[in-house]
Amino acid sequence: MIESFELAVIGAGPGGMEATITAAGFGVRTVLIDSYPQPGGQYFMRIPSDFKVDYENKTETAGRKLVNYVLKVPSLKILNCLVWGLFQEEDGSWLVALYGENAPKYVRAKNLILSTGSYDTPVAFPGWTLPGVVTSGGTLVLLKNQRVAPGKRALISGTGPLLFSVAAHLIEAGVEVVALCEVNHILPHGIKHAFTMLKQWDRLTEGAKYMKTILGVKTPYKIGWSVVEARGQDAVEQAIIAKMDKFGHPIPGTQKVFDVDLVVSGFTLTPNTGLPRMIDCEMSYQAGKGGWIPVRDADFQTSIPHVYVVGDGAGVGGAENARLEGKIAGTSVAKNTGFLSLSREKQIRQEIQSDLHQQHRFGDLLSDLFTPPAGLVSLLKDDTIICRCEEITLGEIKDAIQMGARSIGEVKMLTRTGMGNCQGRMCEHTVAAIIADQLAGEGVTREDVGYYSIRPPLHPLPQSFLADAVPEEE
Amino acid sequence: MFRIKKSSDMLPAIQRGKPVTIHVDGKPIEAYQGETVAAAMLAAGIRTFHKSHKQKQPRSLYCGMGICYECLVTINGVHAQRACITPVKQGMQIETCKELEL
Repeated sequence: MIESFELAVIGAGPGGMEATITAAGFGVRTVLIDSYPQPGGQYFMRIPSDFKVDYENKTETAGRKLVNYVLKVPSLKILNCLVWGLFQEEDGSWLVALYGENAPKYVRAKNLILSTGSYDTPVAFPGWTLPGVVTSGGTLVLLKNQRVAPGKRALISGTGPLLFSVAAHLIEAGVEVVALCEVNHILPHGIKHAFTMLKQWDRLTEGAKYMKTILGVKTPYKIGWSVVEARGQDAVEQAIIAKMDKFGHPIPGTQKVFDVDLVVSGFTLTPNTGLPRMIDCEMSYQAGKGGWIPVRDADFQTSIPHVYVVGDGAGVGGAENARLEGKIAGTSVAKNTGFLSLSREKQIRQEIQSDLHQQHRFGDLLSDLFTPPAGLVSLLKDDTIICRCEEITLGEIKDAIQMGARSIGEVKMLTRTGMGNCQGRMCEHTVAAIIADQLAGEGVTREDVGYYSIRPPLHPLPQSFLADAVPEEE
Repeated sequence: MFRIKKSSDMLPAIQRGKPVTIHVDGKPIEAYQGETVAAAMLAAGIRTFHKSHKQKQPRSLYCGMGICYECLVTINGVHAQRACITPVKQGMQIETCKELEL
């Protein structure tokens, strides 16, 4: 027997937790699914339950409260497992396919709220596959959650305010940060956003705290610079940086070399859209939101009725934005399933509308200043590996384009990019940028290049499990 | 690569879980309950987790959140496990760079 729910929420970060609390709070029979053992997602990730800490900061307190609240929602089912597929049944309800030690193989739900977050935009450069090149998210998880420093001497390169957080945490951990490179020329262009920034008091005070730590050890903050290569035999030994023009091309003759054992790569975030793609939600390309995102209505419902997407997975906007979007989607499901009156739903929406608007304005600021420049593809050499899993180089991708490939799907078919373990998450950004760059003369844009189609299973699974995964007849 | 021992404003001191012994390629390394396999390996100075199939290049933790599949190791004989999201357990046997035998 497959257990049935009114609502399945996938992803227990701030968006998924708030959607769950809202919908289940109004009485909607809900299942919350996450692949991590504790709810929280990346933003509110708790330290492991085996660790003890005497002090927690504001974010950790907020996270702990939200997680504890979720854990106490009456009649809520929480599953710790991976979602590997979504299959629509004849009556329109969804079979959610699961993989995990103590999980059922499927649950059934009439409504879906996907809150699958985002990940560091993987920007390829020569040497990026060497051990010691780590994303900003990966670095922060190791520092904050595991209290392990992934290096002793670090170069940080990328774009956006998250770099300050990484730098400050590394410095406090005792890591020497040789330089912090911001690839975008954010000054004086950024001044026009001063008013929006002033309304983000929490973010400003947090940023000021990071700056104090960074300035305290005189870490150079280099605006308009980027890592151009990582070098080393079996792991990173050197990082090479260069001054960049405003398109993201390195300026000849400006290179500097640093001896480091860690290169942190943080080029903002990419929405994790595997599930909406798998079920063919209509997608739209928004560079400033991190790439391809599902098209949504005012309730955050996608082109497929009863399927919602909230938070970073629908366009990068941060934790508070995700939480507010989760609340609206949860309210919408409660209304549509008859647990909430139309007038009450309207009232809730009005209460949070101005906060949400504020979050969107801040998101616009981030995308205006900190989108990774398209010119970064000029860093790549013909033998640079672009697809880490299948080891496909720039040269091979260029050959495929020569042979007539015009879309990312065609490059995939000709070369196998995106067909390995990561399902294309690590190479899509760069492969698409390469195609658009190579075919710029023909007017081909990132939008024309398209995105990898995603088919189940979303993650690699043991064949023995899949062989047994056919749902039983009822 | 090291376990952070000093206490700071952003990273206040923590007490790790119970010490456990895990073996990497036959050698015992220090680990504590609550740690991930990747964290314990990095703290022990182990950088290469697996080698790429074609070019046999060293690979290691990249995304740190279970989606890039670059930190794959063999754990208790089971091939291709993600070290970054697998918690350590007493007696765990970890092998790096092991080719899948078919």
